[in-house]
Amino acid sequence: MEAGENRFIYVDMEKCLGCKSCELACALSHANTDLYTAVLQGKHLQPRTSVVLGGDLVTPMQCRQCENAPCALVCPVGAIYQGDGLIKLKESVCIGCKLCSMVCPFGVIRMKIEVKKLGTRLLKKGKALKCDLCIEKAGRVEETACACIQACPTKAMYLVDLEEHRKRMLETRGKEAAQARTRLGQI
Amino acid sequence: MNEHGSCDKCAHELLPLAKAQGFETVWDRHESQLPQCGFGLLGVCCRQCWKGPCRINPFGDGPDKGVCGADAHTIVARNLIRGIAAGTAAHSEHGRHIVKTLLELAEGHAPDYAVKDEEKLRKVAALLQIATEGKDINEIAREVATATLEDYASQREAEPCRWLEKTVPAARLAKFVELGVAPHNIDATVTDIMGRTHVGTDADPVNLLLAGVRSSLADYTGMYLGTELSDVLFGTPQPVVTKANLGVLKADAVNIAVHGHNPLLSELVCDAALALNDAAVKAGAKEGINIVGVCCTGNEVLMRRGIPLASNYLSQELAILTGAVDAMVVDVQCIMPSLGGLKDCFHTELITTMSTCKIPGASHVEFHTETAGENARKIVALAIDAYKRRDHSRVNIPQHTTTVVGGFSAEAIIGALSKLDAQDPLKPLLDNIVNGNIQGVALIGGCNTTKVTQDLAHTTIAKELAKKNVLVLATGCAAGALAKAGLLTPEATEEYAGETLKAVLTAVGQAAGLPGPLPMVLHMGSCVDNTRAVAVATALANKIGVDLDKLPVVVSAPECMSEKAMAIGTWAVSLGFPTHLGVMPQILGSSLVTNILTEEIKGITGGYFMVETDPQAAAEQLFACIQQRRRGLGI
Repeated sequence: MEAGENRFIYVDMEKCLGCKSCELACALSHANTDLYTAVLQGKHLQPRTSVVLGGDLVTPMQCRQCENAPCALVCPVGAIYQGDGLIKLKESVCIGCKLCSMVCPFGVIRMKIEVKKLGTRLLKKGKALKCDLCIEKAGRVEETACACIQACPTKAMYLVDLEEHRKRMLETRGKEAAQARTRLGQI
Repeated sequence: MNEHGSCDKCAHELLPLAKAQGFETVWDRHESQLPQCGFGLLGVCCRQCWKGPCRINPFGDGPDKGVCGADAHTIVARNLIRGIAAGTAAHSEHGRHIVKTLLELAEGHAPDYAVKDEEKLRKVAALLQIATEGKDINEIAREVATATLEDYASQREAEPCRWLEKTVPAARLAKFVELGVAPHNIDATVTDIMGRTHVGTDADPVNLLLAGVRSSLADYTGMYLGTELSDVLFGTPQPVVTKANLGVLKADAVNIAVHGHNPLLSELVCDAALALNDAAVKAGAKEGINIVGVCCTGNEVLMRRGIPLASNYLSQELAILTGAVDAMVVDVQCIMPSLGGLKDCFHTELITTMSTCKIPGASHVEFHTETAGENARKIVALAIDAYKRRDHSRVNIPQHTTTVVGGFSAEAIIGALSKLDAQDPLKPLLDNIVNGNIQGVALIGGCNTTKVTQDLAHTTIAKELAKKNVLVLATGCAAGALAKAGLLTPEATEEYAGETLKAVLTAVGQAAGLPGPLPMVLHMGSCVDNTRAVAVATALANKIGVDLDKLPVVVSAPECMSEKAMAIGTWAVSLGFPTHLGVMPQILGSSLVTNILTEEIKGITGGYFMVETDPQAAAEQLFACIQQRRRGLGI
C-alpha cells in the first residue's frame, strides 16, 4: 500500500461555490455527531478543511498527503508518519509543538486547543489537526466515506488515486495520438 | 425515491412505475438535494443585502457576525419572521379575494355567485356588530364586506383588527394589546416585517419575534375571515360522506383535478361540470365528468360538496402519473412547479387560473370574478378536449380508496352536539372533558414534507391520541393524510379510539341520526380553515370563563414545511396552545430564538413550540401537555 502514491483530495475550483458545506460535514463527522445535536449541545467543532478565496476562485484546502511530507520529517515526537496510504497523525503522541504547522507549505495543519484545569493550574491539551481522509471513521480510505466529498453539493471534490488518474490520462491521450497517426496514414 | 418515502398505498404502487418509466417525482428531487446546506438548516444564512450572503459558523469556529454585524440571533429571527410574513400574505390574499368577491356580489358585479348561506351571513354580521334589521341580503353582504376590508385598510393603530377582536376571548385580546401585538391592519404587519428586516433596521431578536407574533395574528385574522365568508358564499359545511385516494379517479370519466387552496373557482368548476356532463359523455366518457380534489382546494370542495379527495400535497404528481387526469386546474399555493414538466409526458391539461400563479408549460385561463362561470366552462371544455387525446393504454389508476366522513365545520360539530342538548350544545362536550371521557382536544394540521415518511406521523399521532381518549380534529394536508388512511370513519372510531372517547362519539353519532359513532377524526377543512377549530375552542373557553391557554387543547403539525405553516404555528402558540412540530424548524442556529419559542414564551402567551421528530414520542408529549392543562383546571 505504501509503495504507491498517497491518495488525496482534489478540488475542481471551477465547481466550488464556497458554500462551506464541506467544512460543516468535516467538523461533524470527526466529532461523530449530527448538526442538530452539535448545535443544541453548543459543541465547539473544528473542521480539517478550510474554504479559502484565491483571486476569483474559491477552494477548500486540506492536507495534500505529501509524498515527502515536511510535517512528518520535523515532528519531534514521531506523531506524524506514513501509514495506510496517507500521512497519519497520532493524536495521543502529539505535543502540540506547531512545527508541522510551520513547515506545511499549504497551511492546512491547524491546532485543536483545549484548556484544562489541573488543581489551580491551567493546562493546554493542544493537538495538531489535519485531514485524515476520514479513515478513522470508515476504517479505510474511500471516496464514499469522505465527509467533505459527500457533502459537496456541486460534486467539486474528488478522492484521487494518482496511478489510476495517470493511467486514464495516458490511455486517453494515447488513444488520441494513435487516432492522429491513423489519420496521417490515410492522407 | 428517498429513504423516507410514503406510507400511502397508491404511492407504493405508482412510484416504482415512475422510476421504471423515468419520471422524476418530489422524492427523487429531495434525494438529489441531499445533503442540504447546514447553514440553511440552522437558519444562520443571511441574504438580506448584497454585501452578503453571510453565514454564522454554528460551531463557534469562524465568523460569529455577518458583514453588517448581525449575529446568529438577529439573522435567525429575521429569517423566521420573513417566513411568517409570507405565510400571512398568502392566507390574507386568499381572504381578500373572498371578501372582494362578496363585495362585488353585493354590488351586482359577480353574476355567477350568490350568498348560499344567509344564516351564516347574519351570524357574521352579528359578530361584527353590524345591524341587519330591515336590510336586504345584498346590503348586509355589502356592509359585512366593507367592514371586513377595513381589517386590510385601517390606519388606526390603537384599534385591533375587528375579526381578531371579535373571535378571541377578551382576556386573550387584552394580552395581545398589552404586548403590542394586536394587529390593526393585516397588510401593515407584512409591510412592517419587510421594513424592519431591511438591512440596518431591527436587530433585537425579541423585538423581531414580537413582530412575527403580530403578523401571525394578522394571518389568523385573514384566515378567519376567509373561512367564514367562504361559508357565506358557498355554504357552511355539514357532515358528508365521500372517498379518498387516487382510486377515486375513473377510467371512463373525464377526470378534472382541482388543486390549490381557494374555493372561488373550484366551486364554479363543479357547477360547470354538471352543466357540461352530456358533452363529456358525447366525447366518449361513459361516466361523464368526475371532479376530484388535490391539496386544500380538494378539502374545500370535499367539505361543501363531498367531492372525493385524490391526494394531498406530496402525491400531487402521482395524480398525473395515473395517466387518467384530463385536466388539473390550479389556483394558488402548494402547487409544484414540476407539474408543468410532468404534464408534457401525458395528455393532461395543466390549467393555471390566477394572475399571481403561472407555471411554465401550463395553459392559462385567467379567472375573473365577473366572468367566473364562463371561465369555469372554458376550463371544463379544455378538459373534455384533453380526454379525447387520452391514451387509454397508459392509464394506471391504483385501486385504493377509503371512505371519508367529512364536513365538520364548527357549526356542524355544535349542530351534532345540540342533538344531545338543544339548549346548551357545548355542555355535553364540556361535561365529557370534565369527567375525563374526553381527555382533551388535538388539532392535527399542516403539510406534507419529504423530510419524513409521507403521512406516517399524521396517522401515528392521530391513532395514539385517539387511543388515549383525545378528540382529534384535522385540517389541510394532515386531514388528507388521515382521510387516505381511513381514519375519518366510524370504523376507525371502533378500531382505534379509547373506550370513553368511543362512547362519546357513539352517543353523539346516534343522537345525530347516524348509524354509528362519529368518525375518529373530525375533518374541519382546508388549512385556511384552522380557525374553525379556534372557534370551537373560544366558545368552550368563554363558556367556562377561562382564557385559551388553560384549555386541554394542543396543536400538532407533524409534517410542516410551508411559510403558511410557520404563520399558523406561531398564532397557535400566541393563542396559548402547546404546538408540536414534527420537522426541525430552521431556527436552531440561535440558542436565544430557540429558547424563546420553546420555553420563555410559555410565560408570555401560555403556548409554546415543541419539536419532536419521532411521532410516537410526539403523541406522548402532546398527551402530557393535555394532562398538565387538566391539572391546571383541577380536572
